Amino acid sequence: MAFWRTLPGWVYLVLAFGFIFLPVAILVFFSFTSRDIPLPPFEGPSLRWYNKVLNNERLVDALINSVIVGVGSALVATTLGFLAAYSIARNTSRFDGLMRYAMMAPITVSYLIVGMGLLISLHIMGVPKTLWTLGAGHVIINLPLCFGIVFAALGEHQRNIERAAHDLGANDFQTLSRVTVPMLRPSLFAAFCISFTLSWDEFIIAFLLTRFEVTMPVMLFEMLRTGLNPEINAAGSIVFGISMTFVLLAILLNLRLRRKNA
Amino acid sequence: MAVPHRSAGRRSFYLNVSRWAVAPSLVYVAIFFAAPIVVMIIVSFWQRVGGKLEAVWSFVNYEKLFKKSYLLEGWFNSIEVALITTVVSILVAYPLAYVLAYQVPKHWQKFALILCILPFWTSYLVRSYAWTIVLSETGIINTVLLSIGIIDDPMQIGYTRGATVLGFVHFFMMLLTLTIYSNLVQISKSYRLAGEDLGANKFQVFLRITLPLSLPGIAIGAFITFVIAIGDFITPMILGGGNEMLLPQAIMLQVQRANDFPMASAMSVLLMISVTIAYFLLARWLKMDRV
Amino acid sequence: MKPIRPNGPFSPYDRSVSTLMNRRRFMKGAAAVTGGAAAAGMMAPTKSYAGNDISFLTWCDHTDARLIGLYEEAIGGKVNVKSYEGTGSALATIEQSQPGDWDMFMCDFQDTGMVSATGIIDQLDDSRVPWDGMFEGIQAQPHAYTNGKLYGVPDKFGYYGVAYNKDKVDPEDAKSGAIMYDPKYKGRIAVYDYYFVIMQLVGISKGIIPADITVENLESVIREPLLELKANSLLTGDILTTLNALHTESVDIIVGGAEWSVALDMANSPWLDYQYFDEGALMWNEALSIVSDSENKDAVWDCIDTTLTPDGQRYLATSDCYWAMPVMKNTPLTDDEKAILRWDEQPGILANSYPSTMGTPDVDAAMIDLWTEYLAS
Repeated sequence: MAFWRTLPGWVYLVLAFGFIFLPVAILVFFSFTSRDIPLPPFEGPSLRWYNKVLNNERLVDALINSVIVGVGSALVATTLGFLAAYSIARNTSRFDGLMRYAMMAPITVSYLIVGMGLLISLHIMGVPKTLWTLGAGHVIINLPLCFGIVFAALGEHQRNIERAAHDLGANDFQTLSRVTVPMLRPSLFAAFCISFTLSWDEFIIAFLLTRFEVTMPVMLFEMLRTGLNPEINAAGSIVFGISMTFVLLAILLNLRLRRKNA
Repeated sequence: MAVPHRSAGRRSFYLNVSRWAVAPSLVYVAIFFAAPIVVMIIVSFWQRVGGKLEAVWSFVNYEKLFKKSYLLEGWFNSIEVALITTVVSILVAYPLAYVLAYQVPKHWQKFALILCILPFWTSYLVRSYAWTIVLSETGIINTVLLSIGIIDDPMQIGYTRGATVLGFVHFFMMLLTLTIYSNLVQISKSYRLAGEDLGANKFQVFLRITLPLSLPGIAIGAFITFVIAIGDFITPMILGGGNEMLLPQAIMLQVQRANDFPMASAMSVLLMISVTIAYFLLARWLKMDRV
Repeated sequence: MKPIRPNGPFSPYDRSVSTLMNRRRFMKGAAAVTGGAAAAGMMAPTKSYAGNDISFLTWCDHTDARLIGLYEEAIGGKVNVKSYEGTGSALATIEQSQPGDWDMFMCDFQDTGMVSATGIIDQLDDSRVPWDGMFEGIQAQPHAYTNGKLYGVPDKFGYYGVAYNKDKVDPEDAKSGAIMYDPKYKGRIAVYDYYFVIMQLVGISKGIIPADITVENLESVIREPLLELKANSLLTGDILTTLNALHTESVDIIVGGAEWSVALDMANSPWLDYQYFDEGALMWNEALSIVSDSENKDAVWDCIDTTLTPDGQRYLATSDCYWAMPVMKNTPLTDDEKAILRWDEQPGILANSYPSTMGTPDVDAAMIDLWTEYLAS
């Protein structure tokens, strides 16, 4: 009985996952072809295209740039977002609503607009385009999310614990560093991961704000216009692999943290 | 604000430090977000004269925008495509989120969610090209349909608005599933049980209780979907086959080919206005900082 | 003007030191991820002008790893490359950069005069160029000199026409520009997304040579057949999109394609072919220029010399991004490669060709407007 009632749900689940995985499966599948183009019929399997990607210096450089910008901008965004959320949650003033709106504002316009605004301003001020400018742009798009995630986690429950710490003689910095931050670790971690992910695959701002030190998506964009080439599939699969490793690590870490806390 | 008594001095220090902790972020947003946007709005009233950016104030760019019917059309197309994408994504994502939240056993839910996000760790550009291969006349969809005998000739699916929307929906379905799911699991079971006790059937419970309570999740997801979709030029460029021009493509033409920042800025301002309107339409349910 | 088959720093050949290099790079990457090195790491990639490094803005064919390898060997420094498509984009890129950012600029030969007027490239020493070794007609092009001055050293050339599927398209049809509007191929055409090339091809098919295009005849003569081409085509897209469509049989013709779009794949895909219109081929010619702000002009000259050596010419002609004719007659290509590039027919094709130049600012702006309308139609 229950089986028949829940059947449509399961069918939908399978269909939805099929849809979600379809292009990725194709992408990864054809990265192992030995042919010159990533199209049927499949021949192989071969690691020929992976070999080529790993010998491609510019691509490896782009990969490193992506990691640097991703980690750097995620760290800055998480820190700024946490400070702002902490400040607004622990104080009241009549500007609270305004400040919260200001913190969330960057998410209410398109990436293209954020990128255009920065591009034009840099151009007028004569600031060169480097990984720094790109990092600054990525912090802006990630700051609202970091703020939102941490702010949502700062409830009354945490506040009571902070008060307790105070009563027990901890000073403010001790409270912050030994009580507040550890309590918020899961949200801070989530904020960092989300920021890194968004920066990692962000194309438009990266395209507008870099010169020849490019990140992976811009590099892939250039490569993609090379014509049909399974090397792109291989590069895409490697990015996928690295990302997955990152996620799995995050999950494991999260599990361990949780077990410790429990 | 009943803060402990202990030492008044320490307390005011505490308040001061935490009060000012918001300052770096506000300054950052002002410098790297607000100021550039203001600059962009100012530049949209300037002109490109003889290959140089000149601070000549005029409405020339906006006049051109509203005079050239194809630019206006590009704007409407952008809004239309973003709206269709948003609606279809909600329709596809809601059932998935529902099944995940209420039917999949608790301990499997996390795993299923991660599985649902994983494909989006591949590069979004590469994924778009992968779709063109799936949709082509010798692609998987046509091959399968032909071999089952549903169609006799390959269908033209690629390089249409449908393909653009499909590419978008694929991406945003994941996002909406997440926001709706996290909203659904927060709805206390007692509400639904109460509804059933009072004689409502499953469908009525869904329509009167679950759906209204999940509106905030839908609104946040829908808004982000709309914002990102309307500002993207990659998906329409690759999957749409240049058969329909959307505003972001026109902006990129101005930036990349013509180097006409004032015109590009004017178009960006138009784009920004569309997003602002969407924001106010959804404002009632949007609690952005409570994601 | 040139094709795009972007960027392919990827060549089938293996560099022996690369494994070592990569290991070092991976270590660097690993360090960046692990420690708090991340913040400090943001500093690392900012450009140092030390040594003999140069920055090179170019179409993707010059980014072939074999050619860049020759350059780096010649100058004893690193060559940073960024690829672009279309002189307009290059100028936008330079304008959006800071002085001193770029040293070498691969500019379309026909556009060097126009680019020199903006003052961003240097006049070059004509006596240093091995004109005698080049194909006849290269130096004689009307755009070679601007007021008697040379601003670029030509190194590769080719044409725009159509690339097509021999199994599906009558080769005779491909010889005329009328194929673009032929109802027989309705929905079987992909158009290469490069605004002035396509407009110039349409112009040639209607008896207007590229040099004669004005704001007026753009509107009165070219607009209508251009929109007709749009209606007759299935899609308009970048090189990958159009090639993708050709390979997956979604279309049979690429308008704007030619040797540069398919020569690379022809050995493996015997059904591919290309053709120039009898009304005239639309010629492109790449050249290397020295950016005026460069602080390393000697190194740029070394790269230019290197490009014209037999090895440089061979790597460039068969670049992994796109193939086309080298300018030097002594380039050591194989017979198969020469056949694919129609080496022996060059004198005739060159004689019946028109250079594809970027229009004057007015014409160019009008073309971009018309192209925006084309895309929207």
